Amino acid sequence: MNSLLSDAGPLLRIEGLSVSFKTNVGRVKAAENVCFELYRDETLALVGETGCGKSVVASSIMQLLPHNASVQGSAVYAGRDLLSLGEREIAGIRGSEIAIVFQNPSLALNPIMRVGEQIAEMLRLRRGFSHISSLQLAEDMLCRLGLRGWDNMKMYPFQFSGGMNQRVMIATTMILSPKIIIADEPSKGLDEALAGEVMAEMVKIKHQMGASLLLITHDLMLARDISDRMAVMYCGEIMEIGKSQDVFHRPLHPYTIALLGCLPERGFQPIPGSSPSMINPPAGCKFYPRCPNRLEKCRRKPKMRQVEGIKTVSDNNECIGREVRCWLY
Amino acid sequence: MLAVLKAEDLGRIYESGLIFKKRHVALQGISLEMEAGKTLGLMGVSGSGKTTLGKILAGLERPSCGKVFFAGKDLRSMSGREYAAFRRAVQMVFQDPEGSLNPQKSIEQSIHEVLELLKIPGREWQDRTEEMLDMVGLSEELLCRYPSQISGGQCQRVALGRVLLLRPQAIILDEPTSALDISVQAQILNLLKYLQRDLGLAFLLISHQPEVIRFMAHDTIILEGGRTSII
Repeated sequence: MNSLLSDAGPLLRIEGLSVSFKTNVGRVKAAENVCFELYRDETLALVGETGCGKSVVASSIMQLLPHNASVQGSAVYAGRDLLSLGEREIAGIRGSEIAIVFQNPSLALNPIMRVGEQIAEMLRLRRGFSHISSLQLAEDMLCRLGLRGWDNMKMYPFQFSGGMNQRVMIATTMILSPKIIIADEPSKGLDEALAGEVMAEMVKIKHQMGASLLLITHDLMLARDISDRMAVMYCGEIMEIGKSQDVFHRPLHPYTIALLGCLPERGFQPIPGSSPSMINPPAGCKFYPRCPNRLEKCRRKPKMRQVEGIKTVSDNNECIGREVRCWLY
Repeated sequence: MLAVLKAEDLGRIYESGLIFKKRHVALQGISLEMEAGKTLGLMGVSGSGKTTLGKILAGLERPSCGKVFFAGKDLRSMSGREYAAFRRAVQMVFQDPEGSLNPQKSIEQSIHEVLELLKIPGREWQDRTEEMLDMVGLSEELLCRYPSQISGGQCQRVALGRVLLLRPQAIILDEPTSALDISVQAQILNLLKYLQRDLGLAFLLISHQPEVIRFMAHDTIILEGGRTSII
């Protein structure tokens, strides 16, 4: 776990990001006014239930959304708004500066290319490495992720299990030493022990590279264990953001409290009701219909507010505090 | 109390190859009992034979050796009618909720398919469907949707509801919540507990999550390499 004070200013600043999709049944509001910063060498976990808009946020940063998507807001990286870059400019950033580990490695990998070649290809195309040296580096990276030996390099994705393919995906992403790694459910398909092992290795490599990690996951324990800060998303909005240990052990938003109550060690307490429609979400707080602490004013939309005295100040005096979107605070 | 489902010394061997036969022992010497109103947990690492055992108990696969008894009667000595009653009384819920439903049929069509197979008169379909939706906590507005248009948790509830229409006595639950979020997992596990209390169902819960087994099971079996290691 690193310090949030490691370097000046955020590496990536997302402001007012709203994404909607035009569909036959109406406009799906997948993300609404999402704001957060990712600092250097930091791991920020974006957690929430399936369908809450976590992956949409990641894909919009990389301009990987389908044509029916409408995107508003900004994602500033190195002084440039990624959302307004042209295809050629963003293609130069994808992979080499900001890389993404997708959640379905079997679909993301080329099925008719050996895995070693797939990893080495990145170095040849983006960094101009020779065939042999790129293969050697690829083998080294696979070895660090627990797939030792030249035999593994010669395998095709279909010859590997889901977990092994996930490690190939991680190797492909990390081989170019990007500044930001976006990992979209990287532990999906891995059993518990293997997930812990792979994630620990991923964090170690990330730390050695000095990269920042935006971890998208619904696994709260994983987020608690490896992230510095945690942002909890519900129905397209960030409900709470703060240091992971604080959010986990002292949740403030009623949704975070309810979500943590579903954990096995807290007795599998279900959240009453179901997630609202993203076409016609509740007008005020989106958790209002399911909230045990709802007030009349919760029918109006709450803003993200800084709470408590918990504040960490980065080198350029920016405040990284605990923020909650709830009328109770 | 007479066990709903009982297995004695079950074994399953798979053979492959035409000339040089290879034998893979998936299960060996498995004995267990499932009682009404109780959950038997079945744990083990991937490839330990959990799903194979579940399929044999549900009648979806034949054992290479050993016996399965339903309500005290050996499956192999059952008449066609008795075997059909067994197949109806012992059901299985699978891991992938969306994959358990026909993607080209609406939820209503999927439910009606079961009622049709049960030869329930058409005039009773609406009542039976409403009763089932109520039992698994789903609203009627989902009926016109397709599996891809509802969430994983809702799909799993529909799969469970379809099974309940058959009024089973025992359900084999093969990792029923491993593909779901923790919030939906909590909902489904609590629903299963409620249904068990209400209907006196016997469950065999296959899971690799110790905390799920601890929450649900009255007794637990751990499989290792196709053999029972701990009961």
